[in-house]
Amino acid sequence: MATLTSTFTQHRRMLTRAAALAAVVLLILWLAPILGGQRSYRLVQSLVTGLLVGGIYALIALGIVIINKASGVFNFAHGWLMLLGGLLFFSFFSTANVSPAAAVGLPLIAGAMVFSTNGWRSLAARRSLIGVGGVTLVGAALLLLPGNDWQFIRAIAGAVIGGVLVGMVVERFAIRPLIGQPLFAMVLMTLAASELLHGVTQLTWGSVEIPLQVFTGLPNLGIPAQIRFGEDLFERAVNIRADLLVAFLLALAAFAIFVAFFQFTSAGLSMRATAENQKLAQSVGLRVRTILAIAWAIAALLATAAGVLQGGASSLSLNMPFLALRAFPAVLLGGLESVGGALVGGIVIGLVQEMSNLLFPGTEAGTELAPYLVLMVVLVIRPDGLFGQKRIERI
Amino acid sequence: MSANIRPSGVFDVRYEQDISLNRTRGDKLLSSGLFLLLLLLPLLTVQGPFGVNLLPQLWIGTIIRIAIFAIAVQGLNILIGYTGQISLGHAAFMAVGAYSSAIFVRELGMSFWVALPLAAVFTGVVGLIFGLPSLRVKGFYLAMASLAAQFIIPWLLRYPLEPLTNGSRPLEVPVPALFGISFAHENAMYYIIIPLAVFMMLAARNIIRTRVGRAFISIRDNDLAAELLGINVFAYKLQAFFLSALYAGVAGALMAFESNSISRDSFLLDRSVELLAMLVIGGAGYPLGPLFGVGFVNLLTQNVIPSLIPPLNDVLPRLLPFINPVNIFAALSPLLFGLALVIFLIAAPRGLAHRWEIFKISWKIRPYAN
Repeated sequence: MATLTSTFTQHRRMLTRAAALAAVVLLILWLAPILGGQRSYRLVQSLVTGLLVGGIYALIALGIVIINKASGVFNFAHGWLMLLGGLLFFSFFSTANVSPAAAVGLPLIAGAMVFSTNGWRSLAARRSLIGVGGVTLVGAALLLLPGNDWQFIRAIAGAVIGGVLVGMVVERFAIRPLIGQPLFAMVLMTLAASELLHGVTQLTWGSVEIPLQVFTGLPNLGIPAQIRFGEDLFERAVNIRADLLVAFLLALAAFAIFVAFFQFTSAGLSMRATAENQKLAQSVGLRVRTILAIAWAIAALLATAAGVLQGGASSLSLNMPFLALRAFPAVLLGGLESVGGALVGGIVIGLVQEMSNLLFPGTEAGTELAPYLVLMVVLVIRPDGLFGQKRIERI
Repeated sequence: MSANIRPSGVFDVRYEQDISLNRTRGDKLLSSGLFLLLLLLPLLTVQGPFGVNLLPQLWIGTIIRIAIFAIAVQGLNILIGYTGQISLGHAAFMAVGAYSSAIFVRELGMSFWVALPLAAVFTGVVGLIFGLPSLRVKGFYLAMASLAAQFIIPWLLRYPLEPLTNGSRPLEVPVPALFGISFAHENAMYYIIIPLAVFMMLAARNIIRTRVGRAFISIRDNDLAAELLGINVFAYKLQAFFLSALYAGVAGALMAFESNSISRDSFLLDRSVELLAMLVIGGAGYPLGPLFGVGFVNLLTQNVIPSLIPPLNDVLPRLLPFINPVNIFAALSPLLFGLALVIFLIAAPRGLAHRWEIFKISWKIRPYAN
C-alpha cells in the first residue's frame, strides 16, 4: 500500500494527465456516435436552452462566490435562501391587502438589522434611529400598496426587504459566532442554516409547488410566448421560451449590476479590500463586520433574484435547494474567487445539463449526474478552476 | 483525558494494564455487566421467549436503530473526527453497503454471513475511489468531491443498475438464517446487530490507539508536520476513507437486513447531513461521540418532536396567524434539528462526549472539582 501510493505520489502529475487524456478520448469515442445520431434542430434547441438555464446558474454561482470571497464560507444554504426569497415574493405578489402588522414589522426588523451590523449598541445612535425609522416608513408604504396594479412593486419591495433580513440574520446568528472555528464547523453551520430555513419555509408555506406568475404578462407587452427561428436551416424550427429568455436577460442584468457595484462604488471597493485581506482592511479603518453583513445581504438578494426568476421560469418547489447545489460545480469550474468565472461556469453547467438531458433522455442525467461529474473532473484536473487564484498549498 | 485520572492507589505495574481499555476492576465489571444487560433486554419483552412484559417492544427497535446509526457515525468519526477530512457523502456509502449486500444475497445466492463482510469491503473500495481526490485537494474541495459521490452513487443505483436494485422502488431483502434458525424477528436480529455494533465500536477505539490511528490524528492536527515526520499522508488518508466507508457499509447492510427492504430514498443528502449532525452533537474525535450523538438525535426525533406537536398545534396558529397547522408536523423536525445543531456548534462545539469527559473528571476528583 505504502509503496504503491508513494510511486503514485511521485508520478502523480504524469499519471493524472494520462488519466485525464484517456478519459477525454473515451468520452469522445462514446459520445460521438450518440451526438451524431441526433437531429440538428434538437442539438441547437438544447444549446439555446442550456445557455438560458446557465444564466440562472451564473446568478446563483455569483451569490456563492461573493460569500466565499467576503467571509471564506461556502454557503450550502443558498438554495433555501432562493426558495425563501421566491416565496416571499410570491406572498406579497398574490396578497392584495398585506396586514399592517407585517407591513410595519418586516421593514422595522430589517432596518434594525441593517443599522446594527457593527453591534447592537450602534442602534442607540441618533443616526441609526433615523435610518431605521426611514426604512420602516418607506418599506411600510411600499408594502401597503393595495390591489393588483401595484403587485410588482409590492412584491419586489417585500422580497428585497425579506431577503436582506434573512441574509443578515443568518450572518449575525449563525456565521458570526463561528469566526475562527475550523472549516468543518462552518460547513456544518451552513447546513444547519439550511435545515432552519427549510423548517421556516415548511412552517409558513408548506410543501409548495408554485409556478410564479411573473412572466404571464409578457404577451401583453408584445413579446410572444415562444420565439421561433431557423425553419430554413434545420428540418424544424427552434423554440425559445420567452419566459426563459427574459429570465436569462434579467439574470445577466442583475449580474452586471452587482459586478458594477463591486467595481465602481466605494462600498464595493471596501468589500473587495476585505475579501483580499481582512486584517489589512481593518487596519485602514474599514468596518469588517459591517462589510461581512453587507456581503451576506447582497448574496441573499442575489439568491432572491435567482429564486424569483427560476420560480417564474419553472416553479417554486423543494427542488430549488438542489438547483443551488448544482451551482457549486459552476463555482468550482469558474474558480472560487472569480466573478467572471461564475458566469462562465454557470453557462457551462447549463449547457452540460441540457446536452446530457438530450443525449440520455428519461434518466435525469442532466440534473442528477452531469454537473457532479464535471465537479469531479475539475477537482482532479484543475482544482483552482479556470479563473481562480492558484493556491500554493502542499498536500 | 479522564483515563489518566484513576482512584488513588491504582497504578499500572504491567504493560497489559497500561494498554487495557478497562483499567480498573470496576471498569471491567461495569462494561461487561452493561454488555450482558444489553443482551438480556429482548428476553424481557412481550414477544421474547418468556413473554414477560417488563420492557416495551418499541425499545428493541429503538436500540437496534441507535446501534446501526452509531456504527455509521463511528465511520464518519474516523474520517472527520480523527483524520480531519470532511465528507458529505456518507449516506451514499451506506447505500452501497445496503444494496451490495442485498444483491450478493439475491443474485449470487450468498448467505448473509458471507455477504455482510464482502459488502463492507466492497463499500470500503468504493470509498477509496472517492477518496482519491484527497491526493490533490483538501478541506472544502474534498467536501465537494464527497458531495459529488452523494449524487453520483444514488444516480447509479437508480438508473444504470436498475435491473439489480429495482430503481426507485423498494428492494426486498431475504431474511438471514444460521443453521436453520431464521432471524426474521427483530429480537433475533438484535443478537446479530448489538454484538457487531459493540465489536465495531471497540475496533474503532483500538484502531485509534495504533500506529494508524496516531497517523490519522497527526494528519488532522497538521498534515504538513505529519508528512515531515515521515508519515505517508496520502496512504493514511486513503486508509481513513476505506475504514470510514467500511463502517458505513456494515451499517447499511445491517439496515437492509433489519428492515428486509431497502429504498434509495433513505440514503440521500439529508441523511448525510443527519449523520454529520449526529457526529457534531455527540462530539467528533471522541470514541463515544457517535453513541451520544445518535442517542440525542433519536431522542429528539422520536420523543421530543412528537410530544411537542399537540401543544404547538394549539398555540402557534393563534400566535402567528399566517401559519397553517397542517404544516407544523413536517416543519418541526428540520426546525428543531437545525436549532439543535446551531446551538451545539456555537455553545458546545466539542459535543456531548466532551461534556461527559468533563463530568467524569469532576466526579472522580470530587470534592475538589469546581
